[in-house]
Amino acid sequence: MKKLVIKSFLYFVLILCVLEVLVRVFHLTKDYPVRIVDEYNVEKWKPNQEGYSVTGNRRQNFSKFYINSSGYNSYREFTPSKDKVEIALVGDSFIEGFHQNYYNSIGKKIEDRLIDVEVYEYGYSGYDLADQLHLINQYESTFNLIDYVIIGIKFENDLNRGEYNIVQERIRLESPIYRAMRQIKLLVYLQNIGAFDAPRELMRKLLSRRNDNVVIISEQEEIRLQKELETNYIKNFENLVKIYNFDKERFILFLDSKKNPLIFLEYLHHNNFKFIDFSKALSDTKIPTTLIYDKHWNNHGRNIIAELIANYIKLTM
Amino acid sequence: MIFNSLEFFIFLFIVYILYWFVFKKSLKAQNILILLASYTFYAWWDWRFLSLILLSTIVDYFVAKKIDSNTIQSKRKLWLWVSVFFNVGLLGFFKYYNFFVDSWIDMFSVFGYTIKSTWTLRIILPVGISFYTFQTMSYSFDVYYKKLKPTTDFLSFATFVSFFPQLVAGPIERASNLLSQILKKRVFSYDQAVGGLKLILWGLFKKVVIADSLGPIVDDIFSNYSQYPASTLILGVTLFSFQVYGDFSGYSDIAIGTAKLFGVELKSNFKFPQFSRNVAEYWQRWHVSLSTWFRHYVYIPLGGSRVSKLKSVRNICIIFLISGFWHGANWTFVFWGAFHALAFIPVFLMGRNTIYKDSVVGENTFLPSLTEIGQVLLTFSIVTFSRIFFRSESITDAFKFIKKIVTNFSYETYNHPMGYRMIDYYVLIVLFILYEYSIRKDERSPFKFKYKAIRFVAYALVILGMLLFYDSSMDRSFIYFQF
Repeated sequence: MKKLVIKSFLYFVLILCVLEVLVRVFHLTKDYPVRIVDEYNVEKWKPNQEGYSVTGNRRQNFSKFYINSSGYNSYREFTPSKDKVEIALVGDSFIEGFHQNYYNSIGKKIEDRLIDVEVYEYGYSGYDLADQLHLINQYESTFNLIDYVIIGIKFENDLNRGEYNIVQERIRLESPIYRAMRQIKLLVYLQNIGAFDAPRELMRKLLSRRNDNVVIISEQEEIRLQKELETNYIKNFENLVKIYNFDKERFILFLDSKKNPLIFLEYLHHNNFKFIDFSKALSDTKIPTTLIYDKHWNNHGRNIIAELIANYIKLTM
Repeated sequence: MIFNSLEFFIFLFIVYILYWFVFKKSLKAQNILILLASYTFYAWWDWRFLSLILLSTIVDYFVAKKIDSNTIQSKRKLWLWVSVFFNVGLLGFFKYYNFFVDSWIDMFSVFGYTIKSTWTLRIILPVGISFYTFQTMSYSFDVYYKKLKPTTDFLSFATFVSFFPQLVAGPIERASNLLSQILKKRVFSYDQAVGGLKLILWGLFKKVVIADSLGPIVDDIFSNYSQYPASTLILGVTLFSFQVYGDFSGYSDIAIGTAKLFGVELKSNFKFPQFSRNVAEYWQRWHVSLSTWFRHYVYIPLGGSRVSKLKSVRNICIIFLISGFWHGANWTFVFWGAFHALAFIPVFLMGRNTIYKDSVVGENTFLPSLTEIGQVLLTFSIVTFSRIFFRSESITDAFKFIKKIVTNFSYETYNHPMGYRMIDYYVLIVLFILYEYSIRKDERSPFKFKYKAIRFVAYALVILGMLLFYDSSMDRSFIYFQF
């Protein structure tokens, strides 16, 4: 028995080592760029780093990212000036685009469709409207030189706070323990393929047996809560717009009207906020516009988005 | 609790530690632990059906004693029928009751009578019922045929009936093999434990990598067969052949491996059936424990092949039809059984049903001969074709599926329903076939390599394969649990 225990342990450790090597050699999992909070209290990626983003067990999506000197994933540096036409795309992971090669991003596709226009992609996973407006506000001198600022917004995700503050949960991911764990590529790979879902589910089951107080909400109550939530979100929007000097002339919201409640769309109309709605453009195509493994836009989806933005700019130029 | 779940491995670890460290001192202690563990394992699904196992155990324990104590043949037979009626009755009620009622109603509707189905019941099929009822019956049969003396140790007998590694999906063990081991104190053996771990690893690979990864493709093709061209339907049924093999043989390997960890040797259930050279050889290699059961307790008592050719053919038809019906309460399984009978009979009439009994393809060479390759491909095609019946939801679906292949052949590239690369699966299947071919001579040693380093690489690759094809969102239950 002793021999079995010792040998099993030895084999277990050796196999883990071999798997770690294989995961690294075949680059089966993604690289995590380092995140920072800069001197303006803006959360972004540490400038000048590169790596690969991988999705799926078998590297089904493999793309290179490059974080420029401004701290965003982009094929170009952000150097706005008065004599050029520039567009800033400010948004979350959809604009950040780790799921695509950095040189094949929405920004690049927009540039290909316009003449002498530079596109700056200020995308960062998890950014909500507060993050985005805080960034624009803190880098006011830079953004004042940019002709068009397009801001991505998802009503249900991006308006749950009315003022910016650093999201501690994200910053905690840069603690020494998390950084050390990310150095073990096998661990990262296992987490990404859902290998820890089973233990997590088991824990959840065990805990839910202890606290199985299920609250049942009636339909009317649900409607009332939804309305209350929408009102709060609109209040948050109003607050953010006010605090961070939202420029209605240059700033254009970018949204999917199907994923925003009518009340919010009407609010935007009434208050003369400009917005581009990409809902119809995406739903009109029969070819899938998102990736297999996640909801991010695939190459076709990005082409449609780029076309839509380029056409909008052409019309307003 | 399924074999490929975290719960099972935690359970296995706890039971293993208790077995070899706390309960190892006496046979009684070992059996008490195994019995408790087996009942816990079964109760994880539905504790209410534990009563059925217990009832089946009690009935066959006493019936066997009655059979043995009687010297008058008619009385012995009567007691045997008690066991058969009880177990088949149990199976019939839980598994086939609704099927018979529905079939009866359908038959009347053919003659223009409409009967409202008020007789059907909402019955849950107790998991493993087809397996443990057959196992307990085999005990009564063996006592009846005087191949075995009945045990007086009820605890050991209950452990034999409910032995958790093979309780829910076999291998269906005969008492002469399993009970005799349970009646003796098990002693730890390093080689046996290592052999068990290797089988568990290989079984998990077959389940996680082969069966589970092919599942969504097969489900998609069989659910939407009317929309796909014939080439895709052929692909679907071919992949189903690998899926069901990976699923069931994977389960059996884990069961055999787990039993080995507890010092018990179960019989092999799969012997690389995909390399069979005719349908008869296939049945000597596929679900061996069930085939053996039918041969011993149905085919041979009916006269087997020692009667006239005509009667032998009748016997073959009977065992294949029962075997088909055993798989499920659906006419698709009866057709599947009938198809195999039709494929088996010519082999039997040509006297070729036992010629490959003691050999494997490429017996004395590394590569198979061209003739063997042809034979293997033909057998695989026949067996795969039969799987259309096995997998289809209804007999109408099965015939529509076949009709589309036969009368409307067209080719189109198939895309994975979730958009994954199909080439990954084709490469996987080819590598799997080549590997299984390389180990074809010993189904119980999937990592039989001379050099430790090669063996180690094989372990690492198998685990890597599991990671590459693991899908946490997948329904991971075993196909044969539904039987």
